[in-house]
Amino acid sequence: MTDIALRAVHLTKRYGRLTALDDLNLDVIRGEVFGFLGPNGAGKSTTIRLLLGLARPSSGHAEVFGVAAADVTRAHRLLAYVPADVALWPHMTGAEILHLQARTGPGTDLAYRDELVDRFELDPSKPARTYSTGNRQKVALIAAFATRAPLLVLDEPTSGLDPLMEREFRTAVRSARDRGQTVFLSSHQLAEVEAVCDRVAILRAGHLADVATMSGLRALHRSEVTVSYTGPAPALAVVPGVEAITETGEGQLRFTLTGPPAPALRSLAAAGVTALAVREPSLEEVFLDYYGTENGR
Amino acid sequence: MTSVAVAGRPGRAVSQLAIRQIRRGGLIVAVLAGGMTAIVAATFDQVMADPAAAGSLQALASNPAIRTLFGDPIGLDTAGGFTVWRVGTVTTVLLGAWAILATTRTTRGEEEGGRWDLLLSGRITLTGALARHLAAVMAIAVATAVGITGALIASGTPAPGALIHGMGTGLAGLFFGATAALAAQIFPTRTPATGTAVAVLAVTLLARMIGDGVPALGWLRWLSPFGLMALSEPYVHNRAVPLLVLLAAAATVTVAVPLAAARRDVRGGLVAPPTGRPARLRLLDNVEAFAIRRVLRPLTGWALGIGAYFLLIGLTATSVTEFLAGNPALAGQAAEAGFADLGSVAGFAATLFALLAMPVGGFATVRLSAFVAAETDQRLALLAAQPISRARLLGAETAATAAAAVLLISVAGLTTWAGVALTGGHLALTAALHGVWNTFPVVLLSLGAAVLATGWAPRWTGVLGALPAIGGFLLLVIADSVAAPAWVKSLSPYSHLAPVPLAGADWAATAVMLALTAVLTVAGLAGYRQRDLRS
Ligand SMILES: Nc1ncnc2c1ncn2[C@@H]1O[C@H](COP(=O)(O)OP(=O)(O)O)[C@@H](O)[C@H]1O
Ligand SMILES: [Mg+2]
Repeated sequence: MTDIALRAVHLTKRYGRLTALDDLNLDVIRGEVFGFLGPNGAGKSTTIRLLLGLARPSSGHAEVFGVAAADVTRAHRLLAYVPADVALWPHMTGAEILHLQARTGPGTDLAYRDELVDRFELDPSKPARTYSTGNRQKVALIAAFATRAPLLVLDEPTSGLDPLMEREFRTAVRSARDRGQTVFLSSHQLAEVEAVCDRVAILRAGHLADVATMSGLRALHRSEVTVSYTGPAPALAVVPGVEAITETGEGQLRFTLTGPPAPALRSLAAAGVTALAVREPSLEEVFLDYYGTENGR
Repeated sequence: MTSVAVAGRPGRAVSQLAIRQIRRGGLIVAVLAGGMTAIVAATFDQVMADPAAAGSLQALASNPAIRTLFGDPIGLDTAGGFTVWRVGTVTTVLLGAWAILATTRTTRGEEEGGRWDLLLSGRITLTGALARHLAAVMAIAVATAVGITGALIASGTPAPGALIHGMGTGLAGLFFGATAALAAQIFPTRTPATGTAVAVLAVTLLARMIGDGVPALGWLRWLSPFGLMALSEPYVHNRAVPLLVLLAAAATVTVAVPLAAARRDVRGGLVAPPTGRPARLRLLDNVEAFAIRRVLRPLTGWALGIGAYFLLIGLTATSVTEFLAGNPALAGQAAEAGFADLGSVAGFAATLFALLAMPVGGFATVRLSAFVAAETDQRLALLAAQPISRARLLGAETAATAAAAVLLISVAGLTTWAGVALTGGHLALTAALHGVWNTFPVVLLSLGAAVLATGWAPRWTGVLGALPAIGGFLLLVIADSVAAPAWVKSLSPYSHLAPVPLAGADWAATAVMLALTAVLTVAGLAGYRQRDLRS
């Protein structure tokens, strides 16, 4: 088996005149937790449906551990999936659905599944028609996390979960990574991706905007620096990476900093700095940098 | 505009909502009931002008099997009595069934779907909303009663009889609407509420039939809206007491509705839904087993319906065929209408077995439509993400449906045979089974067409699937009545069905239909393999 868990090559999907996904090239490495970030309608679910062979690409192709995505009998032995809107057979109980998924799936750790049922506080004796959105999502999550499939593909899996359950979800993702499973997590929630992912791809209007590690992603973006000083005003304007210098008061400055901070620190050295605060950008701000003010599509 | 109305007159807005939801169906029912009544009343003079036809009618009416189905023919010598006997039961069942479906759909169905949460968060109470929705349905029942009465009076029948029959039908409509509303308070979901009310309709109709057929059990008719309508004897005695009893029953059930509603929560029922149950893990081990598991429940329902119908056919077969054999004139008329050899049980059975392909073909189509619905609402997504090929997914569904269809038609054969045997007639079990199995290729054609649609045009599964078994039958009927050229008729699979067990099977036609089914199925599977699942 290759070390590339998921591979998209020139993957494109058109719905009539709408290009939902445009020439996506992406490699997800075995063992990582990979975030797939984008606002609603960016094409995340479309991508996942192509990766799973639920939809056929207009052009390009996708592979799961080197197996063509269209060859579902082989490819799906290597993955478990949680869809964006989980719909269940209304007359079946949670336990029955979990049993069906385990029997037809790529192999399930039944003891771990029972543990997950407890941890997610699911009552599996109820018929699915009585489950809320969150409970339906829990059923699909438990079924997926309990498999020993080397790849978990999760499409916005926490949209219906409350904060406590979201914590359980993050724990489960980390345990999956500890066991060596690869996780492909689509989300429009930055905090979630920030909390669990190693690398993240950012999708906008069907285009891949960037792929980066979490720290690399932040480094690419502006930190906000606030300084108070007693000496002469520092000559920051000529320092590379420094922008948007504003005087916020007597002997007080605020500026943004991109890239390594050493040159800026050197020019601050002579100013007699009494206080210095560096604020890391939140992923929200990172996100806004990609998307600007307009909303994706 | 609308929001102003809601703010000012919430009750009125709810009434308008209720009417909007039922007006089209209600209008169709009222027009159909009045129209059928008018048409039958108009044919009376024509029938009576022909002494042979009039004699046949009298003979037919005296047949016990016919009496059981249509009720006691009273006053057949008057246009009103004749009309009541011919269409009274049909229009009452039509109105009653519609009232049940409309009531549970607009009350419990809307509530179950969460669409009443918003409605009831305003100034409208649960009882208020219920009353207004039930009132809308009841208004249609009253309109239907007025239509029937009007049609009968306009046809020149005496007004008292017209009023008694019209009011009887309307009261039965009110009764079944109220029964459905009450059932909708008892059960928290629409399906058991509808099922219970429909069961009341079926049981009360049966009570009337038994009361008519078995003199010792004649009192059963007092317990049934249909029986009470019969007891009112429109155009003969015009009795008001049975209608007053029916009115009292309808009023009692209506009053019980708000009382029951007051004792329950919104979205709840008097009986709580089962909150949990032990897991039933049978037939969950692979997609094939799962397809069987999902077909079992609908199969049981369809088998009960089809079994009951063909049991009735079997029970009446001997009586009807003996009667036809003794009435060459009527048999001649039947032959002219395309029903040859109705005079023998085998011929009678063969004719009715051909009809079997219609409901069973419909069953196959409904099953494939349900499969497409599961795909559309994403229920299938979890299974489609398992290591299961598309062909296997659809193949399992198709195979389970085909197997269920075989069981269904076999049930029809068995119950027909049982019915004939119970009444001392002669129909061999093997003959009955050969007869029903002979229709299987037509069922398969429908299944194949539905699979083809599932693969290439999922939205058309219902239409395409119904085309061979139901469209084919209609084509034959229409072609017969407009004397269309032979090639038009030959497009219908029914024109290639041999009358088994009266004759042997047409193996060439059977082989062609099976080959066609295979082509349709393979093409459908190929389409399903390569298309996008619906999202
Ligand atoms: N089956 C479809 N037919 C037509 N358009 C679709 C279909 N599925 C998705 N789209 C469109 O493709 C775009 C991407 O959708 P989707 O992948 O669901 O976005 P996301 O999951 O990122 O919210 C949207 O504009 C959506 O309307
Ligand atoms: Mg999505």
